[in-house]
Amino acid sequence: MSPFWSAFVMALIVLNLGITLFLFLWAPRVHIPTLADGTSGHVWAHGVLREGIRPLPVWWLVLSAAMFVVGFAYLALYPGFGAFKGLLGWTSHDQLARAHAVNDARLAPLTERVRATSIESLAGDRQAMAAGERLFVDNCAPCHGRDARGNQRLGAPNLANGIWLHGGDGATILASIADGRRGGMPSFAGAMPDDAIIDVVNYVESLSGLPHDPLRAQIGKRSFSTCAACHGADAKGNKALGAPDLTDAVWLYGRQHATLVETVRNGRSGVMPAWRGRLSDDEMKLLAGYVHGLSHPAVTQP
Amino acid sequence: MARGYRYFEAIEKNAALLGVLTLVMVSLGGLSEITPLFVEAHTVAPAPGVEPYDALRLAGKDIYVREGCYLCHSQMIRALRAETQRYGQFSVASESVYDRPFQWGSKRTGPDLARVGGKYSDAWHVQHLVDPRGVEPESNMPGYPWLAAASIDGADIAARMRALRTLGDPYTDADIDGAAKAVAGKTEMDALVAYLQGLGVDNEPRPDAKASEAAPK
Ligand code: HEC
Ligand code: HEC
Ligand code: HEC
Repeated sequence: MSPFWSAFVMALIVLNLGITLFLFLWAPRVHIPTLADGTSGHVWAHGVLREGIRPLPVWWLVLSAAMFVVGFAYLALYPGFGAFKGLLGWTSHDQLARAHAVNDARLAPLTERVRATSIESLAGDRQAMAAGERLFVDNCAPCHGRDARGNQRLGAPNLANGIWLHGGDGATILASIADGRRGGMPSFAGAMPDDAIIDVVNYVESLSGLPHDPLRAQIGKRSFSTCAACHGADAKGNKALGAPDLTDAVWLYGRQHATLVETVRNGRSGVMPAWRGRLSDDEMKLLAGYVHGLSHPAVTQP
Repeated sequence: MARGYRYFEAIEKNAALLGVLTLVMVSLGGLSEITPLFVEAHTVAPAPGVEPYDALRLAGKDIYVREGCYLCHSQMIRALRAETQRYGQFSVASESVYDRPFQWGSKRTGPDLARVGGKYSDAWHVQHLVDPRGVEPESNMPGYPWLAAASIDGADIAARMRALRTLGDPYTDADIDGAAKAVAGKTEMDALVAYLQGLGVDNEPRPDAKASEAAPK
């Protein structure tokens, strides 16, 4: 606050408190002329009511005096009187830091356990799983769903079925969370005639027993060599590239023929945001433990 | 002290005088609380990394205002643990110098959006704006499917940037001349998503900056 505005605020406070305090001290002492009948002579409601004179009730005086005391004490202790910071040096930022410190201290036993435990073993810790679930619902459910079963509109994978795009060990799950992932299925609209795309989709459908045209699948099999670079010659996927297994009947985007054609024609790039910076290291580890635990229930039940 | 009574009597018997004096006393609080901040508002400098909105995000910001998103969403993270833990670093005035009008808000039917940028993918935002219940089954947020079909008028955005420049936003001629090209072929959905994805991303206070330095003086 600039010195001018500080002085401005101080002047207004002095003016306000000065007037009210002066009135509070002075007014009760003012002599009110009293008539013989004990009234002030003021008449109201066409003479029906006449104004009596009574001293102010004690409770009112005490309450008002207490408000002055509280007001002055507040201005002395807390920021409020212009740029004066108050004797306590209170700031909302310090209060926030204290609130965080108190909470951190409350969570310290859990935090220490989490730091000392491997991601794979966290599933045995009930409290850690509860915290992980809370974090998952707050941050991950919008894409992966509350039950972690994924969302085919977004290509967000099911995290509970033990089938992994990038990998299901603790370190890989943590890397998926911390740095994010971006699916890289290229578009083949330019590289392949549409007919060939339908053929190769029929071949993909044949791999997991979906309804398909065997003749077209036979033809499609030949162009699958283009796809093998990522999905593997056996179409079992490649975790290093995040290319899914096309034989397992588990689908990121859905198994409808039109969806598969769209995938190959236009490509796909499911985006998993990076959480480093938004979540703390401890929170990300809790989440990795929770996600790992979803498909390793044997460890969850002690 | 018999003479003092004259003043009380004068005020008590003159309603206009009573009204004026009451007004003076009541306004003292407002004068000291509001005037300094109101007059000093223009001296708030943008936080490091806070830039005027580029053409697409500017269009998105105006769609956000037009659609009344602020009626359910605030963009003001308060310095309370429950908020900083959920949404991130608390908001400071120097982050919203280019928001006209600012979108702090106070109504939270939905969550605060001050730092929502980067939290989700563009695809998620599109899905969510077209059909919120497709991604959040229990959401009561309305859908905005028409945004995906509405185009943006580049000349209009350039005019808005020119108007903002007269208000002091540091747009260059190149920014304004490039506006039409920047929004060419974009839908209102693209613009709104670009705006949302920019919220709190480039303007997050540096973690090493002391909170007291980021706060308006
Ligand atoms: C904006 C939507 C979105 C949000 C929010 C999101 N994810 Fe994802 N997640 C995805 C998508 C899409 C993929 C697939 C990425 C790919 O195609 O490579 C993915 C992949 C993953 C993977 C890798 C799975 C595998 O099979 O290898 C893990 C683990 C994961 N997410 C965990 C999380 C956790 C934990 C959170 C919350 C902190 C989260 N996700 C939040 C969309 C999201
Ligand atoms: C550059 C590597 C690459 C090549 C080449 C490639 N893919 Fe993919 N494919 C991927 C990745 C990565 C994904 C996952 C996309 C995502 O996560 O959004 C994917 C996803 C898919 C899916 C969706 C699977 C699901 O579960 O929904 C299908 C179907 C598919 N690819 C078929 C093909 C076919 C057919 C070809 C050859 C014409 C091919 N891919 C070539 C990398 C590749
Ligand atoms: C009727 C109130 C309402 C209105 C109007 C509204 N929203 Fe929402 N919004 C919600 C609610 C409730 C949620 C939480 C559930 C959900 O994610 O859908 C939400 C969630 C969101 C989220 C996700 C936030 C997060 O961190 O998960 C975004 C982004 C969002 N809204 C953007 C918008 C935009 C942009 C508009 C204007 C076009 C808008 N909202 C209008 C109620 C509303």
